[in-house]
Amino acid sequence: MKKSPAASLVVPAIRSPILAPALLEKVLARAMARGGEFAEVYVERSVSTAVVLEEKQIKSAQCGLTQGVGVRVIADGKVGYAYSDDLDDAALFRAAETAALIAESGGSERTFRVSRAALPSYYRVDTPLADVEVARKVDLVKRANAAAYAYDKRVKQVTATYADTSKAIWIANTENRLVADNQDLCRLGVHVVAEGKKGERRTGFFGGGGRVGFNYFDSFTPEHVAKEAARQAIATLGAVDAKAGQQTVVLAPGWSGILLHEAVGHGLEADFIRKKTSLFTGKLGQQVASPKVTVIDDGTVANARGSINTDDEGNPGQHKVLIENGILKGYMYDAHNAKLMGQKSTGSGRRQSFKHMPMPRMTNTYLAPGDDAPEDIIRSVRRGLYCANFGGGQVDITNGNFVFEISEAYEIENGKLGRPVKGATLIGVGPEALKNVTMVGCDPMPDPGLGICGKDGQNVPVGVGLPTLRIDNMTVGGTRV
Amino acid sequence: MNYQALAKKLVQRAARKGATQAEAFIQVGRESSVRVRDGAIEDLTQATSRGVGLRVIAGSRLGFAYTSDFNPATLDAFVDRALQLASAAAPNRHNGLPKKADLEGRQDVGPLFDPAVANLPADWKVKTALEIERAAKAFDPRVTTFDSVGAGDHVSEVYVASTEGLSDSYQGTYVFMYAVPVATDGHGGLQTSYWVDYKRFLDELDTPEAIGTEAARRAVRMLGAKKVKSQKVPVIFDPLMAATFVGNVAAAASGDLIFKKSSIFVGRLGKKVGASGVTIVDDGLLARGLGTSPFDGEGVPTRRTPLIEAGVLKGFLYDAFTARKAGAKSTGNASRGYASLPHIGFNNLYLERGDVSPETLIGEVKNGFYVTAMLGHGANVVTGEYSRGANGLWIRDGELAEPVQEVTVAGDLLGMLSSIDGIGSDLTLRGPVGAPTIRFSELTVSGE
Repeated sequence: MKKSPAASLVVPAIRSPILAPALLEKVLARAMARGGEFAEVYVERSVSTAVVLEEKQIKSAQCGLTQGVGVRVIADGKVGYAYSDDLDDAALFRAAETAALIAESGGSERTFRVSRAALPSYYRVDTPLADVEVARKVDLVKRANAAAYAYDKRVKQVTATYADTSKAIWIANTENRLVADNQDLCRLGVHVVAEGKKGERRTGFFGGGGRVGFNYFDSFTPEHVAKEAARQAIATLGAVDAKAGQQTVVLAPGWSGILLHEAVGHGLEADFIRKKTSLFTGKLGQQVASPKVTVIDDGTVANARGSINTDDEGNPGQHKVLIENGILKGYMYDAHNAKLMGQKSTGSGRRQSFKHMPMPRMTNTYLAPGDDAPEDIIRSVRRGLYCANFGGGQVDITNGNFVFEISEAYEIENGKLGRPVKGATLIGVGPEALKNVTMVGCDPMPDPGLGICGKDGQNVPVGVGLPTLRIDNMTVGGTRV
Repeated sequence: MNYQALAKKLVQRAARKGATQAEAFIQVGRESSVRVRDGAIEDLTQATSRGVGLRVIAGSRLGFAYTSDFNPATLDAFVDRALQLASAAAPNRHNGLPKKADLEGRQDVGPLFDPAVANLPADWKVKTALEIERAAKAFDPRVTTFDSVGAGDHVSEVYVASTEGLSDSYQGTYVFMYAVPVATDGHGGLQTSYWVDYKRFLDELDTPEAIGTEAARRAVRMLGAKKVKSQKVPVIFDPLMAATFVGNVAAAASGDLIFKKSSIFVGRLGKKVGASGVTIVDDGLLARGLGTSPFDGEGVPTRRTPLIEAGVLKGFLYDAFTARKAGAKSTGNASRGYASLPHIGFNNLYLERGDVSPETLIGEVKNGFYVTAMLGHGANVVTGEYSRGANGLWIRDGELAEPVQEVTVAGDLLGMLSSIDGIGSDLTLRGPVGAPTIRFSELTVSGE
């Protein structure tokens, strides 16, 4: 490998506290100066790197540093929040004083002590991604580019992107808690456009990563990623229009977990339950899915994209059973909603950055495996749709309507896969769709590590997972009636 | 802090350290917002933020770095980092900053800053949000809760400087309010909707009553929504949904996608791509527009760019890099924040109004679908496939009738543009992208 002049280029990630606990304690005292029942300081320092290759050239290599503090004060259940990009003492105190404005009761001089709490370790990364030479990241996208073009001469455009973040967070609160965590995260993604006859264009996308060290790409190779993206684009050339209406669908394992994320996941987040805006409000203990369905949200999966040693309120990530054999077992709580609802945090309080208030979010959401062999599931369908790959999804948690977009699909005819299908979207109402689950595969699979979940304008990394699944009477959106 | 001087200083330092060209982009902002619940404050957020992005070209190699840490030592290291990143990139003869000639020719965009917004007291936001909540509840007792009700403002300043003679700044204000009510039918059926207004100037903002009432009306009328049979029928998008469609169409007119032959519009410039009433414009000069600014993210003057005029594809959107690649001129559409390189985006994007009232558009439909909410991301601009989840009201004999949910509408972008057979006179911008009511002669609705 040729050494680039930038071989020594790194922005060191910081692995130890940049703010002394004593200073954080003073900031907490200032935040509580006007009264209130709770205050919290969240400090973040993130170093991000991104390399983009398109049209066979490195388009850009970039690097950035984001840091700041968010201070939250809760008084009589009301929340005051202030943030600043500055981390000098004056800025910290200013943020604390601004957040404190929510309190009206007039406080008194109080002191707070915080002590560092031990955390589990689900994603230890020896060399922070920020400390890995940029030249190695450049090499990754170059290899992906070459492999995508080599796959088939109908591949006409390749965009390869590598991005990582080494994020360090410190959280101190008036419940004496101080936690610090290093959260590295990376992903490699390849987008391919293939051109067939008469100018027909199809796209393919694949990628993956997680909370892993850079050596992850020794086994999850850029060649593998590129080939899969190219395969999707080529395989769907000549696809027929999707047939509209209710059909039996079979979901391939992995990425299809978006179905769970949208169909039930969001509706089980406690803020929606407290506000009574979710259709799952008041349904604990009730049958909300087929008995074959067990849904778990697990922040403790080793090296997974959605895993957290601590959530963004200082509570450890947890393994939570949300639905067990079709019965609704629990919701996902952040600390604030838990307190208002007389419950305990489930370690689900997450935020995009110091600029955001935490709220209940998913981590890695997956369906427990069943007994059916994947080939038997496909064989069981006389006519239907096999959904092999997926775009994004979205849900209206109030009426439960969700969609998810199918980027690669095939007709099923007499238990066998047939022609490729384009332009299909699945739509349903969460609990109804899950009641129509008739077969669950024995092949659990996590997604490759690409998920980004958006809620209220905040993005957080998440994981999903699903075994092969058969759902009856699913509405498929298409253009053919 | 004198940010203009800082931008210049960073550019000079980069040049001194070997950059052929350099450009600094600084963003400084403050924001304040409030949400209410049950007649009281739910939360209050106040913040200040700033950051700088530095783009350098060294021997036709591009480097970019950003930081929100303005500590002098950090800023020194940050200039070095941008240069080092350039050395890791491949040379590309199209890399470069807009030249002096590209930076000239500014037109007057009028005022962007409203002191009334900049000095808006927190009390105003609390009072406004409370009035919205009250109005929504008063509209119908079936409005039982809210996802959120709020109001807020932000003030933003932009400073740019480059080795090509650029040194300028502008500041703007933004004020907004919104309601997301939930209506209950008493038997477990829940429906939601939202209504919002977002402006630069306080005196242009709707009343809190109007926001609360409209949001409530949109939620309540969806109660009892059901699926319909799959069929091909005339479909009407209300202005909010029409705006998302216009966004999809304009995304396909990105000069970058055209150059990469990754858009349905490839090879169609000057050709008819839509019904003759369709005119879609990106207008960076729109008076008081949310997306209006004197120059784009790399200092190029903004302008008015027709994308489709009377159904004919007229133009594409470019930033400087893509324009150079494609042998075109930048249209002043370099969009960015300090943490990103410029990329092609919209300024104020809209479909020009027609001359038919929305009531007439609905009145002419015997059996069709009026869409008021959608799920999913819409169009694939490479293939033209369009398929989204849709909620709304069924149209029977020219009247809005029963509510509909859990269906999709699907078509292909080019076919949809050609099948527009009615454009409403009701264009209002409630954000940087807007459209009047539009009617498609036929789309596929998928349901039972």
